[in-house]
This record gives sequence, C-alpha cells and structure tokens, in this order.
Amino acid sequence: MSNRESTVGADQSRRSTPSESRFDWLVDPKLLSVAIGSLAVVVISGLVQVSLGAYSMTITQAWQAVFNPDVVFNLRAWNAFLFGGELPEMSRESLIVWNIRLPRVFVAMLVGMNLAISGAIFQAVTRNELASPFILGVSSGAGLMILLTLVVFGSLSAFLPLIAAVGGAVAFLIVYAIAWKNGTSPVRLVLAGVIVGTVFGSLQTALFFFADDIGVVQSAIAWTTGSLTGTDWEQVRLALPWTVVAVLLGVAGSRQCNVLLLGEQTAKSLGMSIEKVRFALSGVAVLAAAASIAVAGIVGFVGLIVPHMVRNLVGSDYRKLIVGCLFVGPALMVGADVGARLALSPVQIPVGIVTGLVGGPYFLYLMRKQQHMGEM
Amino acid sequence: MFDTIASITQGRNRDEDESDAAEKGSTDDASDGAAATLTGEELVLGYPTSDGPIVDGETITAERGAVTALVGPNGSGKSTLLKGLANQLAPDSGSVLIDGQDVHSLDTKALARKLGLLSQESTVPDSITVEDLVYHGRYPHRGFFEHVTYEDECAVDNAIDLAGCGHLRHREVGSLSGGQKQLAWIAMVLAQDTDVLLLDEPTTFLDLHHQLEVMEIIETLRDEREITVVVVLHDIEQAARHADSIVALRDGEIKARGPPEEVITERLLADVFEIEAEVDSTDRGPRVTPIRARHDETDESDAAESVDGDGDSDSQVEAE
Repeated sequence: MSNRESTVGADQSRRSTPSESRFDWLVDPKLLSVAIGSLAVVVISGLVQVSLGAYSMTITQAWQAVFNPDVVFNLRAWNAFLFGGELPEMSRESLIVWNIRLPRVFVAMLVGMNLAISGAIFQAVTRNELASPFILGVSSGAGLMILLTLVVFGSLSAFLPLIAAVGGAVAFLIVYAIAWKNGTSPVRLVLAGVIVGTVFGSLQTALFFFADDIGVVQSAIAWTTGSLTGTDWEQVRLALPWTVVAVLLGVAGSRQCNVLLLGEQTAKSLGMSIEKVRFALSGVAVLAAAASIAVAGIVGFVGLIVPHMVRNLVGSDYRKLIVGCLFVGPALMVGADVGARLALSPVQIPVGIVTGLVGGPYFLYLMRKQQHMGEM
Repeated sequence: MFDTIASITQGRNRDEDESDAAEKGSTDDASDGAAATLTGEELVLGYPTSDGPIVDGETITAERGAVTALVGPNGSGKSTLLKGLANQLAPDSGSVLIDGQDVHSLDTKALARKLGLLSQESTVPDSITVEDLVYHGRYPHRGFFEHVTYEDECAVDNAIDLAGCGHLRHREVGSLSGGQKQLAWIAMVLAQDTDVLLLDEPTTFLDLHHQLEVMEIIETLRDEREITVVVVLHDIEQAARHADSIVALRDGEIKARGPPEEVITERLLADVFEIEAEVDSTDRGPRVTPIRARHDETDESDAAESVDGDGDSDSQVEAE
C-alpha cells in the first residue's frame, strides 16, 4: 500500500479507531499555509481591534490585558462570558478588552466561518461558483422579516435575530418549493432564488416608506447591510452552538459535496440520493447563514468570495476547501471589521459596507483573470 | 476484497454464460460479484419535455458476461434506452430487472453496487487528481461516516490498473487530454465494482488509440471479470467487431438484434442508417464500407420523417 497516505478519504466520524493516515489529506502544505496566514491576520487584526478605540491603550497594554492570566484562567470569567453568569472583578483594561472589544472579534470570527461554509456548500449544491448564502432567497427573506419587525411589529424587536434567521430559512423553503418539479436542478434553484429575491426586495423597499422614525430606518439599514456594532458576549453565546453544529455537519458533508460536483447523472449513478443530499446540505448552509444573520445581519460578499479565495489557494477538493473556509472566513471578517470600526472613527460603519467594498473589486479581478467562471 | 482480485483471474467460459442466461433471472449466487442479466421489459421512455415517448414499449436483454452494443442513427433513442436501463430515467411503464429483481425495489446505493453507468455528461473540478476521482467510485460501498477500507484501496488499485491509467494516478484531471480523461472516468466506474456496466458512447470524440484502448478494456471486463456490458456505440464497425450482440434502433424502435454477423447486413444498414454500404465478413467480424447516403423518400420504413444528422442529442427527437 504505497499509496496509503494519499488515499485516505474524508472520515469525519469522531470514533476512535486509531489510524495514522486518516487525516493525512489535511497535511497539505497549501492548506497549512492558508491556515497559518489566516490565523496571523486574525491575531493582528484582533490586536489592533482591542488596542484602538475611544479608550486608547498601547499595544503592550492590550497584550497584557488579553493574556491577563487572571481572566484567561478564571473559570468564573468564562462562566460569565459563555453562560451569562456574573462577571468577576477585573482591571479597567481587562474589562474593556475582554468585555467589549474581544467579543466583537469573536463574533466576527463566527460570522466569517458561518458565511464561508454556507457559501461553499451552496456553491456545491448549485454547482455554481456564483452562488452564495444569499442567492437562494435567504437574505431577502431575512431582510424582509427584519423590516417587518422593525416597522410593523416593533414590540417584537427583542427577538429580531431569531426572526431574521427564521425569515431566511422560510424564504429558502419557498425557493426550494418553487424550484421543485420532479426534483430540482441547480439552475432552477438559482432562478427561483432570484424570483423570490426580487419580490421580497420590492416588499422591503415598500416597507421603508412606512417607517416614520429615522432611527428605525438606520437600524433597518444596519441589519440589512450587516453590522457588528455593539455585539458582545451575548451574540457569541447566541451564535456559538449553531456554529459548532454547522461546522461539524459541513465538514462531514464535504465528501457528499465532492460527489455532487461530478454532475447529477454521475452522482446518481454512484447511488447518491441526490435530492435528499441536496436538501440536507442546503439545510446546513441555511443554518450557518441564519446563525450569522442572527448576530450580524446580512453581511454581503463574504460567503461569495471566501470559498473562491480558498478554491484558488487549495484546489476544489471540498474536504480541504471547507477546512480552508474555517480560517479564511474569520480572517476576512475580522480584518473588515477593523476597517468598519476604525476607518471613519469615531463613526462606525456597518461591516457589510467594508466587505462589499473589498469583495466587489476582488470579484471583478477574479472575473477578469479566470476564463471560466460560473459553472463548476 | 479477495473476490475482486480473484474474479480478474477467474474468467469463465462465455458459452456457458450464454446458456445460463437463457433461463432469465436464474439465481446464480450473485453475491460474489458474478455477472448478472439486465433486462428492460416493455420499456416506455420519454422526457417530460418531449411530446410522446421516445422509446415505446421495447424489451431488451443484456446477457450475463457479454457485451451488448446499442447502435442507431442520431436520435434513434439509444442513449434514452440506456438511461432507462440505468434507472436514470424513470420509465412511464415497463420495468428494468437485474437478475429478475426490479431495480426500483433496490435502494440507490444497493443498485449502484450492481449497476454502473458511464454517462456522457461528466463534469469534474479540474484540480482533483485522477486517484481522487477514482475513489469517488467507491461511494456506494461506503457509509456516510465510513473510512476508506483496505477493500476500497484494492478496488481502486485494480480499477486504475485495468483502465491502464496508473501513470496518470497523481495528475490533476484538468491537465489530461480527452482520451486520458475518459480512461480516468472508466477507472472510476470500475472502482464501483458492479456486475453490470452501462457505457454511453465511451469512444466518441476519442482518437483511434484511445478508442481501441477503451474497447480493449471492455473486452477485458467481459473475458476476465464476466461483467455484463451494455454500450452505446456510434461506430457500427466498432460494434460489429467487439460486441457479442448488437441491438439496432431507429426512431426508438428495435429494428434488429442478434450476433453481429446476423445483424450487420447491407439491408439493415439501408433500413436503419439510410446508407448504402458493402458488408464483407472477415475473421474480425463484419467489415462495413459505407458508400453513399440514401435519399429514398418512398421507402416505407421511414414513415416518420427522419431528420438525422443534425441532432446530437437523442432527446431532441420527438416520436410521432
């Protein structure tokens, strides 16, 4: 078995049959450098993020606060962060860093991960490189529900994250139902997504006319363009469990994604129940997108370009692609959020605007560079 | 996994197979990967977009351990028939049986362990290696969370050997020529380790070298692995030379079937392909020398106005 090390499949079960070669495909120099590079971006942007702001401190102070052993090794502190317990006493710096600035970085990481995975899965399901979490109606559904809540049912705004996520999921189901005709096809899914998106988009615009308060409009804009302003541990607590589930399912489904990419007929002749797999994977992608919408609103472009960047760097094997997305997604989000928070300081702009400003030109560059874009 | 290895060297006498297959649906213990008979009974096949059925109530039997070639002009329904046999296209009526068992009663993975299909529509991301592609052939043998087993590795090694693409093993699929790609795809369906293999125009668009290579692989499969092969071929001479049995279709109707020497006649070529040709029998099977296309409008056999030669896709033709 000379080929042993290169033939190991994606076994994602967490059973403990020991096998040295089981994850050997992960040890890919390109994937490793992507992971390390992304981690570096996250750490640097994170440090910039924690040291700058209204309460300014030096890099050293910020470092000391971040790695303050009194906080890092304090179970009560983590209990407060992750389960909403009572916060133990800590220094002013530590409080600002750990309670205000770091959670925002963590939320950015979770959002980046979710969007990237969601985009990667949607691109496999539709076999279309231009697919993103929001092409299948998720963003329009979420956006509409956000506006409805803010403008019409103001009393429900405490449940906004949940309502937004539900709206995204429901819109996706509508898209799926429209596309269904003895089974679906990638093209029909995308077209149905466009149809639903257009109708919901019009309704959103219509709702803006009924907003009587400029504050409501601003809040609606922040939600529909995606913003991390004011996020803290509560958002981490909200997104983390779903992120863990989505990431595990995404990694587990990567082999199915690979087979889906061989084309419908081939996948079918290999014995895949193609509709079930497509629906299940879409469900995972919607879950991931919903988790990010719930905490940050609709951040555009991340789900579209991150899988692209990773594909260019590590190739289109989904086992590696998904893992790569787990690193590059957070790097892009955390980096973009530095811009969103500090570029026009003290005014913060929604991070979705920054990702759009970065993502658009990058996408244009890709389009110019690549001959074939679109269908995979 | 030792079965897999053993079956390559085994090679049963083919005459035996044919007599076996006479009792259709006989239950030779198929568990050890022995060949199976594939039968399509009274198949009515059509696409949702076509007005009527393309294939209207045809019965076809692929004998166990033999190569059956489907031939016919463009739009004669041969690919449609193959899709029907492969359970890719649900028949409007009729049924497909493997060793007497209805394919609908099998779950998708169980079916994929018995019946493999190499379709024409095959896309693959350019950056995966041949080996990765071949491993996808093991999909029906693996559970959702299952790890690659020793058996999988053997099957993949065997398949790559048999398809003769060992030298391409670590190349990226995107860097291969059309012929090499086809070999990689064939290796993938071989890794599936099925009793029945359906191939849709596996030699079309390949250079002569690769055409012969593909046909040799098919013969090896039949002779050494006793796999039942159904292959759509564009080249009638190729069919005549390599197939044990030929089924000639026109307008979704089976016009003739039987061994090549009986089926490939000047009269059949005139009827089915609308060509004038000379057929000489040689020891490599009938040799066809096409002479000219026939433009005989009064021929009673083309009641349907046939529009051959323009459509590549069988699905474009609408049955009357």
